[in-house]
Amino acid sequence: MKEIDELQLPEDLGYTDEHEWAKVTGDTIRIGVTDYAQDQLGDIVFVELPAVGDSFEKGDECGTLESVKAVSELYLPMSGEVVAVNTDLEDSPELLNQDPYTNWILEIKPANSDEYQELLSASAYLELLKG
Amino acid sequence: MKQTPLHSWHMRQSANMAEFGSYEMPLWYPSGAKSEHLAVITSAGLFDTSHMSVLTIHGKDSRLLLQRCFTKDLDNCIGPKKNELVAGRCVYGLFLDEQAHVIDDAIVYQFATDSYMLVVNAAMGAPIAEHLRQHSKKTEEVTVTDLTDKVGKMDIQGPASTRILSRLLANWQAVFDKMIYFSFKGTFDPHLLSAEQVHLQDGTPLMVSRTGYTGEFGFELFVAPEHIQSVWNQILTAGKDEGLIACGLAARDSLRAGAVLPLSHQDIGAWPFMHNPWLFTLPTDTDGGFSKQFLGAEALLHPGESMWTYPFAGFDLRKIVITEKSYVVDDQGNNIGTILTCATDMAIDRIQGTIVSLATPEDDGKPEDFAPRGLCCGFIRVNRQMEPGAQVTLTDGKRKIPVEIRTDVRPHRTARKPMAAMLP
Repeated sequence: MKEIDELQLPEDLGYTDEHEWAKVTGDTIRIGVTDYAQDQLGDIVFVELPAVGDSFEKGDECGTLESVKAVSELYLPMSGEVVAVNTDLEDSPELLNQDPYTNWILEIKPANSDEYQELLSASAYLELLKG
Repeated sequence: MKQTPLHSWHMRQSANMAEFGSYEMPLWYPSGAKSEHLAVITSAGLFDTSHMSVLTIHGKDSRLLLQRCFTKDLDNCIGPKKNELVAGRCVYGLFLDEQAHVIDDAIVYQFATDSYMLVVNAAMGAPIAEHLRQHSKKTEEVTVTDLTDKVGKMDIQGPASTRILSRLLANWQAVFDKMIYFSFKGTFDPHLLSAEQVHLQDGTPLMVSRTGYTGEFGFELFVAPEHIQSVWNQILTAGKDEGLIACGLAARDSLRAGAVLPLSHQDIGAWPFMHNPWLFTLPTDTDGGFSKQFLGAEALLHPGESMWTYPFAGFDLRKIVITEKSYVVDDQGNNIGTILTCATDMAIDRIQGTIVSLATPEDDGKPEDFAPRGLCCGFIRVNRQMEPGAQVTLTDGKRKIPVEIRTDVRPHRTARKPMAAMLP
């Protein structure tokens, strides 16, 4: 188990209290799970992804991460339409353990870009983890 | 929370820790539960199991007391001929109460006709000792001693176990000679339990038992607590080039689920012990009765309403996390029971419907490029009798996972392989 100060928390991402991150990439937003989430889950062995074209509200369940010991829902940090999913994860879900930030899970076209401003900064997320 | 003597070692490795049976135990190490599970199938894994409780029973009426309280008939239990339990052999069975509810499962080791050792689950040493004392008669000569936290225990499991231990044992040829499944040699304390001595090359006395909780070939090792760190380190070093790694409770759970072994207080527990895969623990006679009287026998012979417990395997690795909202659904959509265990055996997958393991020989259907993704498996307890092959659905209220009722899950397990095939 990583100590809190060992966790990688890139500054250029927005975070949620459900341990997802969001990154602005031009007109779209990439979404993944944090270093803390992958460390807590342990070996991720299966990722259930939504279909491209599906639309979700902020906070909706949009997928599942399954580890050896747990099943964890993925909640969408911002409302929008799924425009891409990372199909590499279907065959290699362990990529999320190896590098949870390079390996994004899905990409959305946000319904309301302002929602990004409501996400936690890296330092606010770190404070949340410290409890 | 209690700790085992290896607790600081687990912490130094940055293991993911959790409470189990009132002990803080490693769930997995940084290598991950999947690697740990696979290591036991292909090489070997080392588990800290010092949280389990050890008891001794001494005195001329020891066997009488065990016959009264333990489900196995110690006079008719070894092998197909049902020979009696003798020194150097051990058996797996249960302690039931009058209602035939399971108090705990245990392995009974015989050192002499008046000297036995029991291994029960974490936190069960005191309750089982109390249970045995309550059921011994005043006139009987028997002493039950609870050695909880006074014995160090670790399990080395996997096909490379003998090769690795042979590098550390003094006179390993003699130790492994005729060491059949469910036999043991040596003692962790010669003053407490006398037996032929087994030593490591550095002189450490230990007890080597050819048993385990993974379904794979291997040993449970018992040592005095002051030696456990040294023995642990020696095994890790000796096993490094064989691929041995330390394994946590997550791998232990997924391995035992695939091997159709029950977890006490989860798959067997405070309900009548019947209609389940583990009836071999009962002293059933050829005529269907029991070969001895024991606590719980009356309730088993005159059963009331009961449920059925079955092993299952899924069709992919998705599983259901067990909560108060999870249940089993039949093909009509009815709630028919509960999920007892749901884990993922990472070493298996289905090839055209048939379950194949990493340990399956290619002649028996393992494809050359076999890379299993794992299958969910475990036990359900349902309100009706079902046949192997029948399908039910597991749900947590949201996800629905179809699974198949099975008699067995992970094929080609190695636990019963002849010792001769495993020697260096």
